[in-house]
Amino acid sequence: MKQLTIISGKGGTGKTTVASNFIKLASNQIAVDCDVDAANLHILLEPEIKKEEEFIGGAVAKVTGDCINCGKCEEACRFDAISDSETDIKIDELRCEGCGVCEYICPTDAIELKAEKQGSSFVSETKFCTLVHARLLPGAENSGLLITRIRNTAEDIAGEKNIKLVIIDGAPGIGCPVISSLNGVDATLIVTEPTLSAISDFKKVYEVAKIFDIKVFACINKFDINLENTKEIEEFCSKNNIEVIGKIPYDDKVALTLSRKKFIVDSKDSEAGLEIINMWENIKEYLYSE
Amino acid sequence: MEVVAEGVDGKLIISVASGKGGTGKTTVASNLALSVGYCQFLDYDVEAPNSNFFLKPEIKHVQKVTIKHPYFLTETGADFSACADFCHYNAIAALKDEVIFFPELCHGCGGCKLVGPKGTVREKDVVVGEIRKGPAKPNIDFSMGDLKPGSMRTTSVQNALDKLITKDGLVIIDSPPGTSCAMVFAVKDCDYCILVTEPTPYGLNDLELSVGVLEKLNKPFGVIINRDGIGDNKVEEYCNKNYIQILAKIPNDREIAKYYSRGDSLIDYDSSWKKKFENILKGIEKELQT
Amino acid sequence: MIVAISSSGTSLDSNVDQRFGRCPYFIFYNTDNDNFEFAENESRQAMGGAGIQTGQMIANKGAKAVITGNVGPNAFRVLASTNLKVYSGITGSIRDAVEKFKKGELKEISGPDVGSHFGSGGGGGRW
Repeated sequence: MKQLTIISGKGGTGKTTVASNFIKLASNQIAVDCDVDAANLHILLEPEIKKEEEFIGGAVAKVTGDCINCGKCEEACRFDAISDSETDIKIDELRCEGCGVCEYICPTDAIELKAEKQGSSFVSETKFCTLVHARLLPGAENSGLLITRIRNTAEDIAGEKNIKLVIIDGAPGIGCPVISSLNGVDATLIVTEPTLSAISDFKKVYEVAKIFDIKVFACINKFDINLENTKEIEEFCSKNNIEVIGKIPYDDKVALTLSRKKFIVDSKDSEAGLEIINMWENIKEYLYSE
Repeated sequence: MEVVAEGVDGKLIISVASGKGGTGKTTVASNLALSVGYCQFLDYDVEAPNSNFFLKPEIKHVQKVTIKHPYFLTETGADFSACADFCHYNAIAALKDEVIFFPELCHGCGGCKLVGPKGTVREKDVVVGEIRKGPAKPNIDFSMGDLKPGSMRTTSVQNALDKLITKDGLVIIDSPPGTSCAMVFAVKDCDYCILVTEPTPYGLNDLELSVGVLEKLNKPFGVIINRDGIGDNKVEEYCNKNYIQILAKIPNDREIAKYYSRGDSLIDYDSSWKKKFENILKGIEKELQT
Repeated sequence: MIVAISSSGTSLDSNVDQRFGRCPYFIFYNTDNDNFEFAENESRQAMGGAGIQTGQMIANKGAKAVITGNVGPNAFRVLASTNLKVYSGITGSIRDAVEKFKKGELKEISGPDVGSHFGSGGGGGRW
């Protein structure tokens, strides 16, 4: 089984467009949408949900017993999650990381760690393949844990059904969702753009990919809006042993096709579509040659 | 530097957010700042900060963001299994003759020091990111957070930015994309949130998710549609149906994309946007007064 | 002697799961009496360090050898420190793997055979 994760650093560079078109082009595959807080893969794949599971996230601290306002927990908490502990204790659940220090230190056992539902995960069928995806509740935490869980599910299914390829649509950024999406994969494709912002984020996310010691591919979307920046990306890639497998031209048709819920690789006259087909051939060759 | 926005009474925090990445958050946030002139600007998208390319601040202070990591005095022969048992992040493995510590998984809560054999667990500061601060023209007090690649401590860096928010005047916060904890961190203290989206199925899907977060947090908000004309009308229909105010529509224009790619601003391309952004601010103030 | 085998299911007809830390089950096979039991691998949903926890769990169950697909560097460290013999790169059914093990046809490895996963050191360049 091979696993490919598509990431970008900066959001909106075309990850999901590339991922969904790859999923359409591939065979014997399973898809995972690891952008669990703004999932988009389902929009083109139109899944039918077969199985839903609750996701209970990491625990956070709650005051459940008699607080004597001693203030010890506030002093010990390193995440500024506890306030007013000497009058009327408040725990900020957004800041609480569930470390358990307050629970441990509380002399009256008034604090307890409690886990709550943070979202749901789904196994669905689509026209092309099985899709494992999830939805976090608004403002929920622990997306990294949820990603680990849906990736495990996808790997289990792939093992059972002898599926050879897992295609993973990653999250933007470089933090915990991205790290969880890259852990243990065979290759990653970084989708970038020739803008100063995207280049900066590309370099950061490449630093993360490097930690995992995996094959790194890059593709430059809308490469023709700034040829000078495109050249800079290509130079950076050649210096760092990153294979540039595609340069997708600026094409308003991509968004239009999406709005009609169609795949750009099916638009015979779209250069962007053709380039994505080329990219897929290259990646496929790498994944299956090993 | 004492910065007070003209026409802003007291303090006004505006966060610029979006569910989907790459819709133009930074474009809106930075152009709003440049148009208004006097404000504090904070880039909370610490995993992929980009506002510096458009505001071009003169960085005068760099502050490291650190957390505390433990190290274990194994030569004492002490038993560290209590530390491993306590750690909620599986960052510690206590084996027969050694302790394996996984720095990437450590949140720096200090729990292991608390529960371990007295005096045998020590701590050291570890850099997880940095804050860069300095003035930008015309009169912007600029700060950005930058997460170290490989670190998952996004909220630690954001928490360091929280401490820099001034007491008075206009504060503009550039939020990370998504709807989970990092985004909530960037909007939790705002008085008003501008959601930036694009008129595509992805943009609409993620807009609905971010509206869910803001409604849960009870924050007033309005929408800016970027790349207007590229996809379909569904975002506009959604806003109208749900009585969500559309603050502005930025047209889809390849020339704007070129400006963006170089780090040039929308108001450089079309100076009429300066007035438009000033009016957006006035409209927000008016809405908040009533 | 008890052998721990990473498994995709709970019977001897299940396949050897290629993931050490993240396999769903472990089969503990006793080669002295040909009995076996299985255990769910609770560490698999951990965000990191799954291999380590799994390694510790196996050692605690009294296993002396591990049969699995791939072992990362962290898990290998744990297994090595507990003197477990590691046989990796094994595919096919649990039954076949056990037979081969008994006949001495499996080769013991002396180092990790997959690259590092998260939770194993390393870091960014410019910091």
